Amino acid sequence: MTLSASLSVPSIRVSSLTKTIRNGTRSVEILRGISFDVCPGEFVAIMGSSGSGKSTLLGLLAGLDSPTSGDVILQGTSISYLAEDKLATLRGKLIGFVFQSYQLIPTLTALENVLLPFELNSSAAQTEGLDRARGLLAAVSLADRADHYPVQLSGGEQQRVALARAFILRPPIILADEPTGNLDSKNGAQVMDLLLDLNRREGTTLVLVTHDAAVAANASRILTVRDGALLSDLPHVPQGSMVTA
Amino acid sequence: MAALPWPTAARIAGRELRNSRGKFLFVILSVAIGVAALTGVRGFSTAFRQTLLVRARSILAGDLGARMFQQPTAAQQAKLDAAIAGKGIRVSPVTEMVAMSTAANALDPLLVGLKAIDINEYPYYGSVTLQPAMPLQQAVGNGNVAVGDDLLIRLKLSVGDRITIGDATFAIKAVVASEPDRLSGQFAAGPRVLLTQQELAATHLLAPGSRASQRYLFKLPQSNDAAVATLKSAVEDALPEAQVTDYRETNPAITMALDRSTSILSLVSLVALVLGALGVAMAMRTHLLERMDTIAIMKSLGAQSSSILRIYSLQTVLLGLLGGIVGVVLGIGVQLVLPLLLGKLLGLSPELHIAGGAIIVGLLTGLVITVLFTLPPLLDIRGIRPILILRRNMEEPPADAGAWWTRTVAKVRASAAQVGAIALILLGLTLIATTLSDSKLVGRIFTVGLFAVLLVLLATAALLLWALRIFLARTRLALPSVLRHGLANLYRPGNPSSALLAALGLGVMQIAIVLFLGQAFTKELKISTNPTLPNVFLIDIASNEIDGVQKLLKQQPTVHGTAEFLPVIASRILSVDGTPAAKLKLKNFPQRMLQTITLTWSDDLPAGTKVLSGKFWKPGETRPQVAIGEMHANRLGVHIGSHIVFAAAGDPDNPVDAVVSAIIRSDGQHAYSRAEFILPPAPLAQLPVVWYGAVHSDPDRVGQLQRALYAKYPTVTVINVAQAMETLRSVLLQVSLVVQFLAGFSIFAGLVILASAIAGTRYRRIREVVVLKTLGATRSRIAAIFSVEFATLGLVAGLVGLLFANASSILLLRKLDLDYHFMTLENLLALLGVAALTVATGWLASFRVLGQKPLEVLRED
Repeated sequence: MTLSASLSVPSIRVSSLTKTIRNGTRSVEILRGISFDVCPGEFVAIMGSSGSGKSTLLGLLAGLDSPTSGDVILQGTSISYLAEDKLATLRGKLIGFVFQSYQLIPTLTALENVLLPFELNSSAAQTEGLDRARGLLAAVSLADRADHYPVQLSGGEQQRVALARAFILRPPIILADEPTGNLDSKNGAQVMDLLLDLNRREGTTLVLVTHDAAVAANASRILTVRDGALLSDLPHVPQGSMVTA
Repeated sequence: MAALPWPTAARIAGRELRNSRGKFLFVILSVAIGVAALTGVRGFSTAFRQTLLVRARSILAGDLGARMFQQPTAAQQAKLDAAIAGKGIRVSPVTEMVAMSTAANALDPLLVGLKAIDINEYPYYGSVTLQPAMPLQQAVGNGNVAVGDDLLIRLKLSVGDRITIGDATFAIKAVVASEPDRLSGQFAAGPRVLLTQQELAATHLLAPGSRASQRYLFKLPQSNDAAVATLKSAVEDALPEAQVTDYRETNPAITMALDRSTSILSLVSLVALVLGALGVAMAMRTHLLERMDTIAIMKSLGAQSSSILRIYSLQTVLLGLLGGIVGVVLGIGVQLVLPLLLGKLLGLSPELHIAGGAIIVGLLTGLVITVLFTLPPLLDIRGIRPILILRRNMEEPPADAGAWWTRTVAKVRASAAQVGAIALILLGLTLIATTLSDSKLVGRIFTVGLFAVLLVLLATAALLLWALRIFLARTRLALPSVLRHGLANLYRPGNPSSALLAALGLGVMQIAIVLFLGQAFTKELKISTNPTLPNVFLIDIASNEIDGVQKLLKQQPTVHGTAEFLPVIASRILSVDGTPAAKLKLKNFPQRMLQTITLTWSDDLPAGTKVLSGKFWKPGETRPQVAIGEMHANRLGVHIGSHIVFAAAGDPDNPVDAVVSAIIRSDGQHAYSRAEFILPPAPLAQLPVVWYGAVHSDPDRVGQLQRALYAKYPTVTVINVAQAMETLRSVLLQVSLVVQFLAGFSIFAGLVILASAIAGTRYRRIREVVVLKTLGATRSRIAAIFSVEFATLGLVAGLVGLLFANASSILLLRKLDLDYHFMTLENLLALLGVAALTVATGWLASFRVLGQKPLEVLRED
């Protein structure tokens, strides 16, 4: 993709996004008119303190909820007011999502968990999906744990399965919500390395929510959110791997 | 650290209740439905039974009847008087005898059946219908009598004419259209003449040795089963030769129907109880599972298990009480509404007494069941670890170490408290079942059986799940993903699949048992309530008249169905098992009755007759064998293989030595029901015989039939029991309808409870739905995955439940003396129905979950 092309069609376009939720009789404004674009292949870290609205923003990017006003456009398609099922299909095609608390399906094996988005969204032959899932599990060093259930895996291993799952359909966009938040520093660094490695290999756009500066240090651009508004939007020179030698 | 003070525990419990009213409403409703089903079914069936028994009493015209063939001796009379003195028991004599009557304009005298009554007492239940309509006191007494219309036909008389009986002449004041106790009185007699005891005395026919039967009718001030039983044994003691029957024994069909309906209705209310308990247990379990996070937080803040137990015990008691109150109100509503609905349908309005006792029992039952069934999940609180708040889906890692039995022992040791809780539940249920059930034995058998079945169900469910898991592991990736994912869901951590399976299976089983038993019962009753059962009996048809009578009956437009004919040979018993008749020890059977018994023959088992023991002969049997009614067998003390020597009245020199080959019971509704001794035709071939006939006629047009018969066969006596048969039939129909209705009601309540148990698992699915949606799954896809899970659950539970239902039905039906038939269609429909219900409820329960925006749930993380 040429530079001009990538500039003309942003991977993600957020315009005047607001979100208000009602809490009993009180309404709380979580997002107050946020706008930004994310270019294809870019790695954007969204930072902010707890309660700043960063996770809600990420959720709206993924179409997990509808904004109160404004719009989210993914790869040229406005997703904010799509019907639930259309949104799900679109999400399956365009987005890989990594949760803070892994969110693996406990009744499926590691391999099946990785395969799940493929089964949900792809019409290709299952063998193709299986090959890809096995490949991804190998890439996150879990080839030998393919038949284990989530309860039989450690937190770090579960998050690595979740990473593999996010990439199975080669989505153009990966959204990650505090992917290392539940892990110790060593496991966190390993997961982060794998995420960056996969991101580079697959050429995806990565938007990551974190309040950890060390994680954000890998990003090419850092957005800071405070009280539901964009405080700063700064380009950043990635500092390379977090793994300590 | 000291345990939480009770007031604080109460405050926390109350606040939780207020904060999630919706969820608690669900728990309260589950308790309420259980309690409502229990109090409603129980209250209504008690009220119905009482009403029905009053109608059954009218067939006897009293609570108890004692029939004998001679006047009691002075000593017997004194003993009887002493037995009933001071208890408010009323007694009225009814004397029945055959006499000749003449009328001024008739040449021949006519044999009539006199029935002398006390018009101020008779009948205690039911009423005598007269034409023209008038009170009994007006029609009978002071020189007036009421007669059967066949007497008017035969003697060519009309109301107002006079007849002479013995030394007295009476005016005919009215025609007797029906007597309540027509089926209980003497049968083989001419037209009815109803008169008072004083009028009978005036005829001077009653002399020592005259063939009069004396019947005493008794009425108790409070007619309950225990009081009737006490009186019965006292009367049997005072009058050793009397045949004493209580209101439940007036007609075999009524007796059987009442006994069976009592058993079935007891079962229905016990089933309602257990289904209610299941609902409560499932609701409370779900409730506590949802509280796990809160509990973990409290523990991490240093709360002891005992403190948390306080909070949730209080909550349980409160929920149980609230559920109990709502349930009792619903139950009373059911009791008020059911009779209104049924009253129109059945023409029957049970008297309702909503006793304070019943309300308290309902409340207590709701409370005790809630507490008992919440014990196991409450005890689980102790095992919840604070780490839970840090890591979801925590599960104990599988203990791979050690042999399976060491692991089992460790498991049992770890669950000692649970075992104790289960023992408590067992004890509590037994107590409730024995207190509430009409029969203590039924209650005990029910609880023990229930637990045995529950254990087997749990084992079967676990086994099936295990087999499915192996199947899944083997075929895993070869299965379509929806199917694989749906099946895998059965093993979701915290998903109590085997418990839910056992509960569902148990529910299905109980519902199916009620269905099967109700069906078998009503099927049997359908035979007894067949509208063409004989209601007119013809007595003394000569052998050469039989063809003519048969032809005549066929031509009558009022006659329906085929007439049944019974050959009768007057006979006497010479000896039983070698003991001469005079030396036989008989039970409530007058010695002189041995001289006037009747034999009959049949080539095969007559309609409406059932073999209780032994075997009925095959057609063409020539050896002298006898099938004997169970009551006579009892009174004579004979059993299979006993020898009875009969001598026919016409042939005293050729006695017949017959071996008892079968003990039989008749439904009391066919010609052969009157036969106590049935032999094969061959041994009786040469003996003089008369015929009895039984036929069904339109109840309102029996007179027409009587006139036609009298015109051609004047010696044939017609006994009209049409009205009594109508009463009997309507009682049986009511029993059948009420059993069906209550069974239907408890099946419905059971389904609601099962549905709510399934719906209770919905909270566990929310997170999964969200993850699947985030990964791009559409709602229909998620619904398909859940459908596989629910359908499998439903099919397995249905299969296991129906298997046990059929097995239990075989046992129970044998106890109830009913036939079991495997009902293919019903079983298949039930199986598919359960699966459909599980899927539908699952969908309904997950509907809101499916529509939720993922972020709403994720934000709660």
